[in-house]
Amino acid sequence: MIRRSSAAAILPAAAIALLAAACGTPGGSSGGSPGAGGGSTKAASGPIKIAVVDAQSGSSSDLGQFEYRGVKLAVDQANAAGGIDGRKISLGLYDDQGDPTVGTELARKIASEGYIAMFGTAESAVTLAMAPILESEHIPNITSGQSTKLLAVGSPYLFLNGPTGLTYDSTLAKYLVTTKGYKKIAMLTNNDSYGAGEQSAFTTSLKSLGLTPVAAEVVPADQANMTPALTAIRGKDPQVLFIGAEEAQSGLIVKQARALGMNAVIAEGAPAGTPLFLSTAGVSDTNGTIVSSPYLGNSVNSAAQTFSSAYQAAYGSAPELHGAKAYDGAQVMIAALKACHGCTGLALANAIRAVHYSGLLGSFAYNNQGVGIFATAIGILNDGKIHPVST
Amino acid sequence: MSTVLTPFRVRLLGLAVLAVVAWLLPYRLNIYWISVADTALLFALLAIGMGLVMGIAGQVNLAQIAFFGVGAYATAILTTHDGYGFWVAALLAMVAAVLAGLVAGVPALRIQSHYLGIVTLGLAVAFVDWITNAPVTGGDSGISGIPTPPLFGIDLTSQYLYYYLELVVLALGLLFGLFVVRTPLGRRMRAMRDDALAAGAAGAEIGVLRMMAFGLASVYGGAAGVLYAGLIHYVAPETFSIADMFLLLAMVIIGGRQSLAGCVIGAVGLTVAQQELTNLAAYAQLGYGVVVVAVVVFAPAGLVGIPARLRRRRVRSVAALEAFQPSMLGGAEGRAEASAAAVAVPKGRRFPPWLQAGRAPRRLPSRRGGDSRRGSKPAERSEALARRKTQRGLGAEGRGAVPGVLLSVSGLVMRFRGVTALDDVSLEVRAGEILGVVGPNGSGKTTLFNVISGLYRPSGGSVRFAGRSIAGARSYRISQLGIARTFQHLRLFRHLTVLDNVLVSMDRTRSWWSWRYICWPFGVWRYDHALRSRALALLRGFGLAGFASALPAELPYGIQRRLEIARALASSPRLLLLDEPAAGLNGDEQRQLAGIVRAIRDSGVTVMIIEHNMGLVMSLCERVVVLDSGAVIASGEPGEVARDPAVLEAYLGKSALPGLPVPEASP
Amino acid sequence: MQSFFQTLVSGLSFGAVYALVALGFSLVYRTMGLVNFAHGAVLMIGAYVASTFYLSARLPFVAAVPAAMAVTSAVGLVIERVLRPLENRDFDLMLIGTIGAGTVLEAVAILIWSSSGRGVPSPVRTAPLIVGGVRIGTYNLVVIGVVAVAMAALTLFLQHTKRGAAMQAVAMDHEAATAVGIHVGRSNAIAFAIGAGLAALAGSLASPMLYVSPTMGDSLGIQGFAAAILGGFGSIPGAIVGGLGIGVIGSFAAQWFQGYSDLVTFVVFTVLVMIKPTGIFGERTVSRA
Repeated sequence: MIRRSSAAAILPAAAIALLAAACGTPGGSSGGSPGAGGGSTKAASGPIKIAVVDAQSGSSSDLGQFEYRGVKLAVDQANAAGGIDGRKISLGLYDDQGDPTVGTELARKIASEGYIAMFGTAESAVTLAMAPILESEHIPNITSGQSTKLLAVGSPYLFLNGPTGLTYDSTLAKYLVTTKGYKKIAMLTNNDSYGAGEQSAFTTSLKSLGLTPVAAEVVPADQANMTPALTAIRGKDPQVLFIGAEEAQSGLIVKQARALGMNAVIAEGAPAGTPLFLSTAGVSDTNGTIVSSPYLGNSVNSAAQTFSSAYQAAYGSAPELHGAKAYDGAQVMIAALKACHGCTGLALANAIRAVHYSGLLGSFAYNNQGVGIFATAIGILNDGKIHPVST
Repeated sequence: MSTVLTPFRVRLLGLAVLAVVAWLLPYRLNIYWISVADTALLFALLAIGMGLVMGIAGQVNLAQIAFFGVGAYATAILTTHDGYGFWVAALLAMVAAVLAGLVAGVPALRIQSHYLGIVTLGLAVAFVDWITNAPVTGGDSGISGIPTPPLFGIDLTSQYLYYYLELVVLALGLLFGLFVVRTPLGRRMRAMRDDALAAGAAGAEIGVLRMMAFGLASVYGGAAGVLYAGLIHYVAPETFSIADMFLLLAMVIIGGRQSLAGCVIGAVGLTVAQQELTNLAAYAQLGYGVVVVAVVVFAPAGLVGIPARLRRRRVRSVAALEAFQPSMLGGAEGRAEASAAAVAVPKGRRFPPWLQAGRAPRRLPSRRGGDSRRGSKPAERSEALARRKTQRGLGAEGRGAVPGVLLSVSGLVMRFRGVTALDDVSLEVRAGEILGVVGPNGSGKTTLFNVISGLYRPSGGSVRFAGRSIAGARSYRISQLGIARTFQHLRLFRHLTVLDNVLVSMDRTRSWWSWRYICWPFGVWRYDHALRSRALALLRGFGLAGFASALPAELPYGIQRRLEIARALASSPRLLLLDEPAAGLNGDEQRQLAGIVRAIRDSGVTVMIIEHNMGLVMSLCERVVVLDSGAVIASGEPGEVARDPAVLEAYLGKSALPGLPVPEASP
Repeated sequence: MQSFFQTLVSGLSFGAVYALVALGFSLVYRTMGLVNFAHGAVLMIGAYVASTFYLSARLPFVAAVPAAMAVTSAVGLVIERVLRPLENRDFDLMLIGTIGAGTVLEAVAILIWSSSGRGVPSPVRTAPLIVGGVRIGTYNLVVIGVVAVAMAALTLFLQHTKRGAAMQAVAMDHEAATAVGIHVGRSNAIAFAIGAGLAALAGSLASPMLYVSPTMGDSLGIQGFAAAILGGFGSIPGAIVGGLGIGVIGSFAAQWFQGYSDLVTFVVFTVLVMIKPTGIFGERTVSRA
């Protein structure tokens, strides 16, 4: 029942609302971000703001931390050497909590706060969620993801700081089948986006070499007991066990496989050879593991050694692949900024694409899809150290 | 004191201001904050659903995030995979979400509390597991490229304009939620939350209510999911994780789960806080945890509960207990349901005769008391739901009815795992009498009541009420047939006001009557309004009108006892079971109680009363049945029974028999 | 057949850990009426402390574990003080309040030990037992043995010591317990400390089987809670049976349903709980007024 007094209250309110609505839609014409449109090529003044968006809490927070450290080292070094035309790079760290929804909000946040570029994230689901927004806000993003689904987005603003999963796995498959002549290869992958990507990439690589895996089991990403799956694999008596899972779970897989008496050679991509993998597997059980990675270790060449001592000095712990990838990605961004004198938007994206940089992971030369590195190296783990193999 | 600014008008003005602010908000926010606002509104919608199922209906529901996910993923799959238009997909997604809600509600029929918690949590885990693995859901990488909903040419890719869409949906959802809470369905759910046993005895169909609660929650969850898909254009399992479920739960509890407005406030507040703290990581997490613990420990009713708590401390109620007015009860028909809705009962359904269409609607008593069947305005009669009669002796009875006998118990046996609580108990309750049930402690009196009122299923024997067998029937069914009861240890609905307590019992609609909420809410509102006036009349009759808006815990014990009787009477029973109504009452209150019981009987209700107070029993009861160790050892007039040696032995033991003075029946 | 038994053995090994977790849940619920969702986080703290003693301080494992239990029990006393108002409340209040406490513990762990996890090498390096082709790890046997001892010790404590009887009395009627001179607050604090110690034991023993990270308690907590409910919440033998049951069900679900194992495990769990709502051994609860 509408009493007169309440009508009296509502009517003016409604009138104000209608008037306001008649004055046009809120939000103006665009997001109002400085990076709007095609981007400017002339240099602005003040610090160059670049955001780092990663999970700083939750289950993938360790990767997020490695990525931030790698980026920060490169940026600190660049700033110490004078920055970009005298302008310092200022990093802003944002925690996406591993949640794609938070990621989309952060994409708008960094756009509205004048960030011209972004590093991150380490989880492809969040990167995928953010990519369309970053594209519409014209913010280039160098990510440490490796999933081919990232390429399917087709954004000219998205760049990978490492090879795709397919590269890791085709190099590995080629080594296993062609060079070493293995015929019976089993697969154990988990069901998150990394593991699922590895499963499809490795199966494709094997197929192109005319081989099918003798077993292919899938475990949940948070599973601790892999023995049932390994028992099924053991029954097929494989020569090689390919693992597609993150560092800790891979280590547990190795440990449990050895406890089951499986002597198969372990083959894996990036996670093998990392400190967490070694500590969860137990070093002795990992001897002979074949690793496919563009960054085989901190002492593999002089560039790596320089990097790792600088990292150690700055953070008190040794770096690993994620830190190295992030470092290289940051160097690419810095090179691009230098080349175009602090440009933004599409101009910056094009500048990144034009960069040729020789880094820890190899030579970067970006194609239209945003991939810059097309090869990995093969190494063999022995006593906790990766020894490169000439392929 | 200004008469213009009544509390109601102040509230309405506040709401209007809030509405204006909410409408104009997008003009003040940049692109980042509007996207935060959009997310906040989605969580607010989810939180309302949580509030309804957890705060109002008292069901633990940790699967709400899964309903959210079902809505979002169904929309995503149907649009990207199967090529449906957005709104068609949205509709199907809502159906899917409601189905998921009903599936999640099935365990609630058997288990509650922490059991229901882990089962619903497990369902949420199972859902995430499914979307992570199934090929059609894109696995862990999710589904992108969900189209924007088309809406009369408005460009909903704009976060600003999407805000308005969400705001409208949220407003409708909130209004509907509030409407449910304040009307019979919500009241029954709150009664069920406070005391499911007593709610069942008052006529609430507990199982159906629980399923409805889950269904409601899933509607809100599904709607939020559909809107999410259209906003973010991307769905992935990480959004629907257990961590987000606990975040949603925190929103509802911090805001205040028993208040829908509190849920909204909690959702918006926590979303904004989450955003403000994104660059503080571990410290943010620490602070958040501390805040959650602090709120739960110090303000369990949530933030919205704080002003109410302060308000109640300051208000000293000056209400007083008034005299009981027997005339209010005069004319059994007067109390009947003049304002209930008439429903044409489908042909062919086997309904008891008194529930068939065509019965003349009953009228309210006029203010001057007594019967007043003439001149009742059509406005006083809303749609009238045909009712049973309450007059003694009249009214259609079931087959096998013995004239004059209302309740007949024969050979009743009740065993609990080896303990025989009732051993071949047989008795009759004649229509219109006051029958006393006495016996030493542990003799099975309350067990007898529990079997009659449907709380226990007897191990053997039969119970016939007005000729129809009710042994083993559910308690809500028995309540609807016309038996009401009070409890030995008061079972009032502690979070409901005195008026609401009575309203729950007075509401005689069946669960399927609730379809009106969707199709004819005006009818619900009218019914509720009429119900309220009847309830207030009843309270006035009992002298409790001054306490109508008080909570039971604020009332003195004697008044709570009287309230429980009023509540039982509100259901217009034919048989009233009173379980130790005089326990804890002083002499004066006991006299008043006797008067009330007699008046109740005089108005046509048969009364069965368990009592230890012999004086009361002697003066009140026409017949008395004595139980001892589960068996009937005597029955008859109070005077005879008091002299029966078996009775004396049961109470006092063999050695006390010789030379014992025999109690006289007091006038 | 061999793979069946191998799967069974692995299920029992992990089940033993879940049983320990469930034991802590049930004990705290039975004596204090608190459903403690911070239990998983306490377990995680215990695991971190134990691994710090074991790896950094180079204490032998058999010394690191009891040391970790002692430290965690002390932390438990502090937590109990904070959570005391939540006892005997509505389930959703207990749930969110204890989850909040767990979040605080997780944040503290990240601040102290950083968010990257650490692997813990197995302290028992002897070759596994091979019975009919089925390999039974010696460390797993150790864990099962410790769980059996813990269960026996706990039962002995509750049934045959004065303190244990006092704790049960408090659970049944804390007013009557006060009336006979039992200090309820102290009894509850000790109960919680024992529960925390059990959590630390579970975490320390589990760390060579998993890896230690700030979020390790989440999944273990849920599994342990489900195990406690399955066995009968509050029942000591029920916790053991429930834990082993969850471990075995999960193991076979993994073998037959691979990636869908979580889904299958919880569907089976739901069906079992619906059939027997009070769990296998029935619920032994704190009586509420």
